[in-house]
Amino acid sequence: MTEIIEKLFKNPVSVIAKKEIMDNVRNLWIIIMTIIFAILTIAMSALGSYLSEGWQALDVTIALMMSIVTLLVPIIALMLGYAAIVGEIEKGSMNMMISLPVSRFQIVLGKLLGLGGVLSFTILVGFGIAGIIIGIMVPNVNYIEYLIFIVATILIGLVYLNVAFFFSTLFKKRSTALGGAIFLWFFFNMMLPIILLGVAWGGAAITDIMSGSAPDWYFMIDLVNPMSVFSALVFLNVGGGLSSMESMSVQMQYPEFYSTGLMLLILAAWIVGFFALSYWRFSKKDI
Amino acid sequence: MVEKTIKCPQCGLKKIVSGKPGENIKIVCSECGSEGMFEFPGNVQKTRLNNEKSAITVTNLTKIYNDVKAVNNASFTVKKGEVFGFLGPNGAGKTTTIKSILGLIQTNTGNIKINEIDIKEDDKSAKKFIGYLPEKVAFYDNLTALQNMNFYAEMKKASLSECKPLLVSMGLENAVNKKVGKFSKGMQQRLGMARALLGNPPILVLDEPSGGLDPRGVALIREKIKEMKEKGSSVFVSSHILAEVQEVCDRVGIISKGVIVAEDTVSRLRDRLKLKPKLVLELEKSSDKIVKSVESLDGVEHAKIIGVMLHVVCDPKSKSKIIIAVEKAGGNIVNIQIMEPSLEDVFMRFTED
Repeated sequence: MTEIIEKLFKNPVSVIAKKEIMDNVRNLWIIIMTIIFAILTIAMSALGSYLSEGWQALDVTIALMMSIVTLLVPIIALMLGYAAIVGEIEKGSMNMMISLPVSRFQIVLGKLLGLGGVLSFTILVGFGIAGIIIGIMVPNVNYIEYLIFIVATILIGLVYLNVAFFFSTLFKKRSTALGGAIFLWFFFNMMLPIILLGVAWGGAAITDIMSGSAPDWYFMIDLVNPMSVFSALVFLNVGGGLSSMESMSVQMQYPEFYSTGLMLLILAAWIVGFFALSYWRFSKKDI
Repeated sequence: MVEKTIKCPQCGLKKIVSGKPGENIKIVCSECGSEGMFEFPGNVQKTRLNNEKSAITVTNLTKIYNDVKAVNNASFTVKKGEVFGFLGPNGAGKTTTIKSILGLIQTNTGNIKINEIDIKEDDKSAKKFIGYLPEKVAFYDNLTALQNMNFYAEMKKASLSECKPLLVSMGLENAVNKKVGKFSKGMQQRLGMARALLGNPPILVLDEPSGGLDPRGVALIREKIKEMKEKGSSVFVSSHILAEVQEVCDRVGIISKGVIVAEDTVSRLRDRLKLKPKLVLELEKSSDKIVKSVESLDGVEHAKIIGVMLHVVCDPKSKSKIIIAVEKAGGNIVNIQIMEPSLEDVFMRFTED
């Protein structure tokens, strides 16, 4: 048993993951973002209590907290991931890492596990504090719903982390990777929803969306956006399956083919897909 | 043990040396200072086999960047237990070769073996034997020197108890718990050397190890190289400081425009180029007459005067004739020095266009 534990913690993947955690928890920007995230989460949970007249409905609180998630979690994930490889190459420490008896697959896996750990910890700290406050204020809080929300948030964080990580293997300069990460945030959070609305307009479905119902093909296309998948995953499990279309202040019924399993599968595909792409790119990269 | 009488090829001085059959020893002549290697006879078969086991073998290595051959069909061997100097002008392909050895870049053609293990087949096993000091040393700035060392020790499966003594041995005893982000360039270089020595590696690869170091730091690195050699490690060192290389290296390899142009001991390369020693005479007063009379002598290749110093490239046998000629031309000799062709002379000849 001791031997297994030793093997588990002393293999290169674990050692690299541990180093990533140690290095990033001392990163000033990560500390600042975690504090901002925790403060805003607490503020939104308090606002939720006000809107639901005294902590009655967790889904309203969660809907408000989602605005923080969609804004800050991608930023934290992109910040953690964009320089993971290119930053070390530019600085020179990747030379040393690769000269060690470790494969490139182990480097990618170890780094992503470590960075994923930091990201998950950040989310857990923010939501944990908010959860404690909700727990004190609300008599019969549905913690299962809250837990689903936390898990979904970690998953969307990991999607962005893996995409940013791929960018860090793709570009030759840290600054280009940062530009790529910023563009990515804009694309998923600003451009893609507008493009989808444009598509809906073109398909004469905009009036349906405004009235609270949309054709299936619109929902199908919307699955391209991981943020929409995340929203669907949350609202399929929290508050009776209603989508909160915050931008239009309307609620919409999801189509039948929207299921928790499908949403989990799509988010997992993003994570695994970009992990594979990162490894493929990194394995062919000259350092 | 076997005893042999050997004769210096430069000045003819005879000397008795002893060693094991098949052993290779480095000899420095006490009279003229010339260097050479001597192999004791006997037990040849066994010796060959041992010699064939190399620390690093590079065969027909080629790396092309944007249609330019950074390294062109390079082959060389670093023998076990030797200090091998890898020299070349800027942009000659030194770092590309080192990066290829360590698997940092993908090569176009060729094979690289570390301790007889092909890195294309099993790079993880091959890299277990290597301690590496890169040209551009970098660490994790948010971690302390000891935390950085612990990370690398764990990765190399070396004992964590080695870390602190290694930091102390590199003169970093007061910086063990200091964040590396606050280290000077010299301190980082010392930390880099400490990291390279983790796990007492049988092969050390050092890329410009003296970069950014003060003279004490340079001396410390030199001592560490000698120490590792005494322990039986092989050291592959790339450096621009040729005097440094000459002092510590058993053999050198010279790369120019991506091509290995020489690989041997410094003295053999000197012999191959037929470089003559330099006689340096310090005179009381210099004159053109002295230079002309020396230049006209047989065996004198070149003579020039710098201040009161007369530099004469000549056959060693012409020494007495030169002294007489100088005195006949009215020169008073204050001091005489014989300088063997340096590694710098060898390097210049092999890398000239």
